[in-house]
Amino acid sequence: MAEQPVDVEPEGVNVAGEAPVEEPEAVTDDTTVHDDDVELERTIGLVGGLAIGIGTMIGAGIFVFPGLAAANAGLAATLSFAIGGLIALLVALPTSELATAMPRSGGGYYFISRGMGTAYGAIVGLGLWLGLMFASAFYLVGLGHYASAVFAELGVTLPFSPVIGIGLLFGAALTALSIGGTENTAKIQNVVVGILLVVLTGFLSYGVLDAVGVFGGGTVPEQFFSRGYFPVLTTAALVFTSYLGFAQVATVAGEIKQPGRNLPLAMVGSVLIVTVFYVVTIFVATSAFGAERLGQFGETAMVEVARDFLGLPGAVAILGAGLLATFSSANASILSASRAVYALSRDALLPRKASEVNLRYGTPHVALLAAGGPIFVLVATGRVELLAEVASFLHLIMYGLMCVALIVLRRRNPKWYAPSYRVPGYPVVPAVGALASFGLIAFMQPASIAIGVVVMFVSYLWYRYYAGNVTLKGDI
Amino acid sequence: MTDSPSILVPLRVLEGESVPEGVPDLLATAHVVLLGYHVIPEQTATGQAQMQFEDRATERLDEYETMFEEAGATVERRLVFTHDGQKTIDRMTTEHDCLAALVPNATGPVEDVLVAVRGTVGVDRIARVVGGLFGETDASVTLYHVAESDETDEDVGTLLDGMVNRLEAQGLDASRIETRVERDQEAFDAIVDAADAFDVVVMGESDPSLATFVFGMPADQVADRFLGPVLVVQREPSEETE
Repeated sequence: MAEQPVDVEPEGVNVAGEAPVEEPEAVTDDTTVHDDDVELERTIGLVGGLAIGIGTMIGAGIFVFPGLAAANAGLAATLSFAIGGLIALLVALPTSELATAMPRSGGGYYFISRGMGTAYGAIVGLGLWLGLMFASAFYLVGLGHYASAVFAELGVTLPFSPVIGIGLLFGAALTALSIGGTENTAKIQNVVVGILLVVLTGFLSYGVLDAVGVFGGGTVPEQFFSRGYFPVLTTAALVFTSYLGFAQVATVAGEIKQPGRNLPLAMVGSVLIVTVFYVVTIFVATSAFGAERLGQFGETAMVEVARDFLGLPGAVAILGAGLLATFSSANASILSASRAVYALSRDALLPRKASEVNLRYGTPHVALLAAGGPIFVLVATGRVELLAEVASFLHLIMYGLMCVALIVLRRRNPKWYAPSYRVPGYPVVPAVGALASFGLIAFMQPASIAIGVVVMFVSYLWYRYYAGNVTLKGDI
Repeated sequence: MTDSPSILVPLRVLEGESVPEGVPDLLATAHVVLLGYHVIPEQTATGQAQMQFEDRATERLDEYETMFEEAGATVERRLVFTHDGQKTIDRMTTEHDCLAALVPNATGPVEDVLVAVRGTVGVDRIARVVGGLFGETDASVTLYHVAESDETDEDVGTLLDGMVNRLEAQGLDASRIETRVERDQEAFDAIVDAADAFDVVVMGESDPSLATFVFGMPADQVADRFLGPVLVVQREPSEETE
């Protein structure tokens, strides 16, 4: 990729008199260049990008949802995961194009604010920040379930359910770690994702062989649409939280090396990889027990599946993997939420103070607290399905609008819009992606939709009050 | 007058690293690539640190740029916010075609220069650095070689004579050049011990091998133990492995 000029001129000031930070002059394979002699180094490679995407996603789909999904949709939950994967792919392709045209921090928020204007940007940006908090809270509650299962495994009986307490504890630990920790977190994330993929591949290979009868177990024969057709879609809406991670790759787009090549590969690649894992997982899980019994096991159903196949060692391995996976997903989401706060504050939609860097640790403590703090309230509700759906709702709004932004940009075709990757099948793919994203929302529980709409409305009011004069839209 | 060699001067500008005394004079005839960089943890977006620290860092770089220019050097500068300092330094070296990077330590007026000659690889670049920086001064240059056990005296003689010829071609008078050869010593310790008597060390960047992954680059270690400035001559860009 040659040097790519950036020609977007944000204008205006917010209530506090802060103007958006000037846009950089150019984007290269290795840097983002400001004023000729100030550069921001790009340091995340393809493996790092994939690890962010997969690490964020895999915690939920495999370790929390199988039991819940099977309870809702029966064996057809397999199809629900496939639908989710298809929608994610339809969005990941347009997102890749936008990301190669605008490889800057902030991801979906950045594309939409530049392509469609500040109002849409503010709704999506604030929604992304809050959506990631709902997602983190969801992962933390999942983590709480796994930790409780460890207690149960050890034979420790507690007079109360430790799920929420453990979730809160880990939430606090994660926030503190990201503020005070200077360890190489990306390398740890890569290793964790590697371990998870190895454990899961081994476990699922055994499960598939068993399901097709190699080990004499054989499938529990069952009707595919045991609960009818409609629950397949509502379940797809519920489990869509398992596909939120690919957009997190775009929130660190400003730090990805060779963005023109690595961003599309990391986003599309991570969606494809996790979709395969999810579909196989649900297939194996439902064939081991049948959807009915699987549903009764709830959040930690996979532990029982592993026990059924491989006895105690299997259960222990999946318990460990579940703890790791939910922990890494929660961690990745908190970090992305802090990036979202930074992107908003850079554009004067939040106070500049919000992205302040701590002098002692060099970490953005205000943004991390802004991400970690509200999670406590959310974790305390303990409502896994609600948290998951609100997170999905807020992300789906962003996904749909990203597809629309792509169509808008392609039609107006401004000079600065020069993506190095172009989505195949334009305009069908982005149009279907937008319709599918908005359409999936219709299948959510009314409570989730209501909370999502309130969040969007409040975001809009905040924009009108705080930054009504700020213009971020590119010259189109 | 020879071409002024490009020398990279990397400074962690926000962590109190500054241009030590004597360094501007040392690089008076160089083309200085002044790199101010700031390494931030991965939790922080690079742009976030830029928003907060750019002004302060720029102010300091302005000051350093003036110091080098007053000493007579030409200066090109960059301020980089990064998660990976080594990647930034390597990229700068390649992009600006730097012959050497300076590990900045204080020094007085330079009278004695130690040039560690390891083998035939890179001698040309070493000669250009030494000639470019010290050709116009009165400093005496000592070529230092630690011979391997299978190296004959003729081999060593050829190597060092070749180096002397190159330096003469760069405008250094042969009377200012001495040679010293050690045997039966570990190269790294020998260089550190010898360096004590000198003001500046010029040495090549060693090839990465298993040992350097464990203990770090020998050049960095020499710089840690020798308290004066070290000029680390970089490999030919084409030899760099991706």
